[in-house]
Amino acid sequence: MNDLQKAQYKEKYLRAKRNGEKFFPDSLYRDMLVMFAIFLLLVGLAAFVGVAAEPKADPSDTAYIPRPEWYFLFLFEMLKFFPGSLEWVGTTVIPVAAVFALLLLPFYDKNPARHWKKRKFAIGFMSVVVAAMVFLTIRAVVTTPAQENAGAVATTLPAQISAGQDIYSVQCAECHGAEGEGGVIKGVKGLEGYKMKAINSQDEMYTRMDDTLYNIVEYGQPDLGMPPFGKAFGGELSRSDIDNLVTFMRYTWDNRVEVPKGAAQTNAIPALGPNDIPSYDVNIAPIVKRYCVSCHRPGKENNNYYMGSYSDLMNSGDHKPNIVAGDLNSNLIRMLHGEKIEAGGAMPPTKALSPDLISIFERWVKAGAPEKPAK
Amino acid sequence: MISKRMYPWLDERLGLSGIYKTVLDRMVPKVNWWFTLGSATLFLFALQVVTGIMLSAYYVPSPDKAYDSIQYIMNGVAFGWLIRGIHHWGATLMVITVFLHMLRVFFYAAYKYPREITWTTGVFLLLATLGMGFTGYLLPWDQKAYWATTVGTSIAGTVPGIGEFILRALRGGSDLSGVTLARFFSAHIWMFPAIIIALIGVHIYLVIRIGISSVPKEND
Ligand code: HEC
Ligand code: HEC
Ligand code: HEM
Repeated sequence: MNDLQKAQYKEKYLRAKRNGEKFFPDSLYRDMLVMFAIFLLLVGLAAFVGVAAEPKADPSDTAYIPRPEWYFLFLFEMLKFFPGSLEWVGTTVIPVAAVFALLLLPFYDKNPARHWKKRKFAIGFMSVVVAAMVFLTIRAVVTTPAQENAGAVATTLPAQISAGQDIYSVQCAECHGAEGEGGVIKGVKGLEGYKMKAINSQDEMYTRMDDTLYNIVEYGQPDLGMPPFGKAFGGELSRSDIDNLVTFMRYTWDNRVEVPKGAAQTNAIPALGPNDIPSYDVNIAPIVKRYCVSCHRPGKENNNYYMGSYSDLMNSGDHKPNIVAGDLNSNLIRMLHGEKIEAGGAMPPTKALSPDLISIFERWVKAGAPEKPAK
Repeated sequence: MISKRMYPWLDERLGLSGIYKTVLDRMVPKVNWWFTLGSATLFLFALQVVTGIMLSAYYVPSPDKAYDSIQYIMNGVAFGWLIRGIHHWGATLMVITVFLHMLRVFFYAAYKYPREITWTTGVFLLLATLGMGFTGYLLPWDQKAYWATTVGTSIAGTVPGIGEFILRALRGGSDLSGVTLARFFSAHIWMFPAIIIALIGVHIYLVIRIGISSVPKEND
């Protein structure tokens, strides 16, 4: 801009100002209105949408599909157009060029005009860039596959304890017993007859801090026969899983810890009134999950008797049927009572179920072993 | 009334009416709603500062505790969910408003004489805002944070020549670790905010000194 143009601009601007408004209150009023709307919007988003819960960072989980914050997505998507040895064009040349193009814009854009009709190239160029950014963002969202095992994340203490209980029942009960009580191991390859110490004792809980328990589970104690469970060591538990497990152990077995209200109920096996009819979904599944599934799942020694679902429970096993509706002489009931029969010995092998749990099984079988609760 | 005697006393010493005259009681061209985007961004930044300071009272920047401290903020602290929710969505909204504000300035050619420096400080503000977003994203230390930052920093590692150096400077080592978290935390709560506050000072000073531009007419 030369001096004449500058003077012309200044004069026009003065006129615009004179015909304008007061900053306060006229302009500021509009600003405040927008600020207020934004504040309401944010409170609404915080209250009704919230912040999505994610599992804890887990460096060993390399299957995780990285997702940058949405406003960086267009950059990541752009990189896909520069594969291999051209990568640095996308990661360096273009971003640096874009930043300098923006920074220096007022100095190389010598066009003195301000109305869009006289700046068609600049307006057109910027519009194309913005459209490309929007397009790349949408493309990134559409083409990124959904996260695997994006299950619910336990964020509250009761939910964490209950998630930990489920993991314990499946992964640990076969060796350590349903309550961590230990005993002589039966039915576990390689540890048959091993006398397992209790891990639910005060000795154990008072001398093992959370970090220690975490490491024991993650790394295992291979020389002693305790397998590693952390993904980094070939196991199947993520960091969040192990955290939940340790939370469960601490809140269930350590008598110094106060269990928060609500946590106890989520964990409990549903009570059964004297006249209720038990069903698989409500009463049996929780017991089986806690006391049996740890051994009775694929890949374990169990006479091919899987107990993960109603149909498996009724129809699998080398000596099937293990449950006959209405028949208290079914294999499963007899084994719960500790009888030695052709199908095997006492179940669970290390420690019998409590009499009231056995009676739930009996009442269920007598009632015809229904899957769904009666209406 | 006490304020009647207080005001002249304070004014004599603080120059309040001078501030009122230059900042509030001035003529500006009649403009439209697009011109509220800058102050909207300013408001969002202030909100981020306030909620961020509150969050920092409970947040622990260590790999062991970061995740749990956020869970605690969400479930244990009274209105923690609200504060974090506002900070989370405020960040997103601020990126949107900064960007739209820049587009408004661009399409109205408000970066031209005499507002070149306002524009340049603006571009740095844009970059710093994105820097806030990038560093803040890691702090919850959850899966999304960890892997997005792993990929984000490894991209910096592809810069020819100095990539390896940038990568190690960002991560504080060859891998993401507690050092990375400490660095990002420090950048997020000290370095970038300091830069942004200084730049906003210059930016707003220039906006007030030069005056807001008018909507261009056909003959402009
Ligand atoms: C294949 C059998 C097996 C499984 C499954 C197993 N453990 Fe162990 N665990 C062991 C053995 C063996 C020891 C060593 C016990 C000893 O020293 O007497 C042990 C020891 C432990 C100890 C005590 C270590 C110490 O020194 O205090 C803890 C705690 C423990 N296990 C927790 C778990 C948890 C939690 C799980 C489930 C994720 C689990 N274990 C699954 C076999 C197993
Ligand atoms: C520590 C591991 C373990 C636990 C826990 C366990 N079982 Fe078993 N179960 C076995 C093994 C091993 C066999 C194979 C027979 C044998 O070796 O005794 C078996 C066999 C059975 C069979 C016979 C299956 C067939 O078709 O041959 C039934 C029925 C059974 N279990 C029921 C249960 C029930 C019900 C529970 C839970 C209350 C339970 N088991 C808990 C290890 C276990
Ligand atoms: C933290 C980020 C930012 C804040 C808080 C901010 C704040 C403001 C405010 C309050 C105004 C007054 C006018 C209006 O609201 O439109 C303004 C004007 C201006 N801003 Fe920003 N801004 C930011 C980022 C940017 C960016 C990214 C750019 C461009 C790259 C920019 C360039 C300008 C220019 C050139 C003006 C003068 C416009 C005119 O006079 O019409 N600003 N800014």
